[in-house]
Amino acid sequence: MSTFKLDDRTIEFQPGDTVIQAAHRAGIDIPHYCWHPGLSVAANCRMCLVEVKPPPGRPALMLSVLHWDEEQHEYVDQKKPKLQPACQLGASEGMEVMSQTSEHVARARAAVQELLLLNHPVDCPICDQAGECRLQDYWLEHQGTKKRMRDEVIHKPKAQVFGPTIVYDAERCIICTRCVRFSAEVAKDPVLDVRERGNLNEIVVSPGRELDHPYTLMTEYVCPVGALTSRDFRFKARVWFLRSVRSVCVGCATGCNAFTDYDPRSQEVHRYRPRENLEVNQYWMCDEGMLDYRRIHDGRILHARVEGERTSVEAAAKKAAKLLKGVPADHIAVVLSAEHSNEDNFALLTLARDYLGTGHLFVSGRPSGEGDDVLRHRDKNPNTAGVTAMCTSTPPLSMPVLFKSLEEGRITHVVALGSQLPDADKAPGFRRCKALIAVSTHDGPIPEHASVVLPASSWAESDGTFVSANGLAQQSERAIRPLGDSQPAFRLVTALGAALGHSLSFKQVADVQRAMAPDAGAALEGNATPAGISP
Amino acid sequence: MAVVPNTPLGPKQVTGKRVKRPERTASVQAYVPELAKGIGITLGHFFKNTKEMALGQRNDPVLEGVEDGINTIYYPEQRRPYPERFRGLHRLTHRADGSPRCVACLCCSTACPAQCIHIEAGEYPEGDPRRGYERFPKRFVIDELRCVFCGFCVEACPCDAIRMDTGIHATPYDSREQFIYEKDILMSFMGRDGSQQSENPRHEPGDEGHPGIDRERHGH
Repeated sequence: MSTFKLDDRTIEFQPGDTVIQAAHRAGIDIPHYCWHPGLSVAANCRMCLVEVKPPPGRPALMLSVLHWDEEQHEYVDQKKPKLQPACQLGASEGMEVMSQTSEHVARARAAVQELLLLNHPVDCPICDQAGECRLQDYWLEHQGTKKRMRDEVIHKPKAQVFGPTIVYDAERCIICTRCVRFSAEVAKDPVLDVRERGNLNEIVVSPGRELDHPYTLMTEYVCPVGALTSRDFRFKARVWFLRSVRSVCVGCATGCNAFTDYDPRSQEVHRYRPRENLEVNQYWMCDEGMLDYRRIHDGRILHARVEGERTSVEAAAKKAAKLLKGVPADHIAVVLSAEHSNEDNFALLTLARDYLGTGHLFVSGRPSGEGDDVLRHRDKNPNTAGVTAMCTSTPPLSMPVLFKSLEEGRITHVVALGSQLPDADKAPGFRRCKALIAVSTHDGPIPEHASVVLPASSWAESDGTFVSANGLAQQSERAIRPLGDSQPAFRLVTALGAALGHSLSFKQVADVQRAMAPDAGAALEGNATPAGISP
Repeated sequence: MAVVPNTPLGPKQVTGKRVKRPERTASVQAYVPELAKGIGITLGHFFKNTKEMALGQRNDPVLEGVEDGINTIYYPEQRRPYPERFRGLHRLTHRADGSPRCVACLCCSTACPAQCIHIEAGEYPEGDPRRGYERFPKRFVIDELRCVFCGFCVEACPCDAIRMDTGIHATPYDSREQFIYEKDILMSFMGRDGSQQSENPRHEPGDEGHPGIDRERHGH
């Protein structure tokens, strides 16, 4: 493989790589604002300037500059090498690039940083980006000096509403055009552009339009400074109070990798951030998914219910067991849920197959919605593939078949995981069954018609594996403690099994995963591993 | 390898000055003379205190801490004056229009080692001149029971919005809830000089001449 030298390290590169790309892949950060691995090259921030040694036998390209000499008290002529932007400079064999070792580069970066901060309002205390802002980081790393300009800064519009999700502050903007390029290249909706020139320029939305494509929050995510802020996250929290876990978005079957940012003190999830996974979501997530964290706190079932009355989980499990006692196995149906993880479904599947002895398996989930060819999938359930793959001998049937069986009286008792139905209008069909026992996270048509509801915790409160539409089994980590009385669904199934007198022993996620291993083998391999599920 | 001679291994030897034990002389052994000495000191204080009380010769309450004599005061009736930089209960300073100076940046709650400050930030509505330049505290709560009165919040504040110059020391209450000070209580306190406004000299957004002017007024 071809290599070039960056400072004192040898970097491998592929044909067509730029210097910054190859360095990024090797884990070296060349400071940059406008470059993003998933976007085209603009080379307008000039932060990634590097010095390149001339090829052997060729003279270096030198510039003649005037340098202020303190001692002579006048400008003197000085030669300096012409620096090159690493984001636009193609890597070539044997090239010698100096980034951290060059005095000229250090001076250029300090100067670029000073220029970018010239008209900046420096309102970090009220800026949401503070703590994860490139301007702050690079000021510390590359500048570290006070502002020299004493003139009044240029004033531009502040807190402009760009659309339903984004607010723009032109004074903080450094016109890196990442948001412009993202909208045009990834979201395929060129709704943003730059207006005016020089220090008067600012980002504008096309006249008559709003920034309202399905990926608007990504413009905020790519913004290296606090110019674009999310209206949802605005002023909610300071980022240094938040902790992150690696999670998987459960908004649709794509299974985008994300970071869940939560406040450990209040046990509250505040936002998602996309996590790089080139096989699934690259660097991006959709708005729907980014705002899906709200469901962790909204519309939750936090206490067990028997006939609508609040009770303890133990009492509800006992009541459920009483309802199921003595019912012939072929009158009981078990509904798995594409909303829940492999672990939760496997626990219920074990209870159904090995203890209740029923073969009537069904699968429910959220109704399908809009999809596109960027990231969003029509199937709004995170684990349809996982549930289908799990039931190896008897594939689960769809909900209309269950309602037909209920209508005909062939099934009288239902144990259901999840809260949503693909077709909510069919929910009154549950009135035909003698007892519906629901293990649900959210309010919805299933718990609404259930005689016993057990409160399941959400994906953010327990580890879990989800299998995406393209067959990747991905693990999502626990962020917060279970809310209210809720417990992970596999533990509720264990409690239900115990009340029925069966000895399920799923106490921890690891217990389920160990039991699951021979069955759903590949589904446990971890992140970004094909689960061996035929499409 | 060079070996340093006579370097003992293990913990360092303890060195110190040898102090002579008090000798058990005949007068100590006899007990009575020592007893009389002790009673003498007690009586000395008794007569001095009685004389000062009768003649009203009381020491300066601040200085008496460092001088001989009566070192106690009759507390709730008499109080020692607090030093000038005494850190008392917190207060939130006002702007000229009576709104809190605080911009809800959470610097104080970040600096707080006791994690006793809770702030919920709010945004000014569209059209308000302060929108975009400032935010404001929807809620500002200090748990005075948790506070360790270190004063870090005052030092962290970028706009002189929180101060501890009320001169009031932590007040006893009946229940824990009463120690939770909300924004209105914190704003009702004043400094020991009676002031409530902050000394932040900067212009308020929306003031005449405030540099933050929109494009329409600026002409570009």
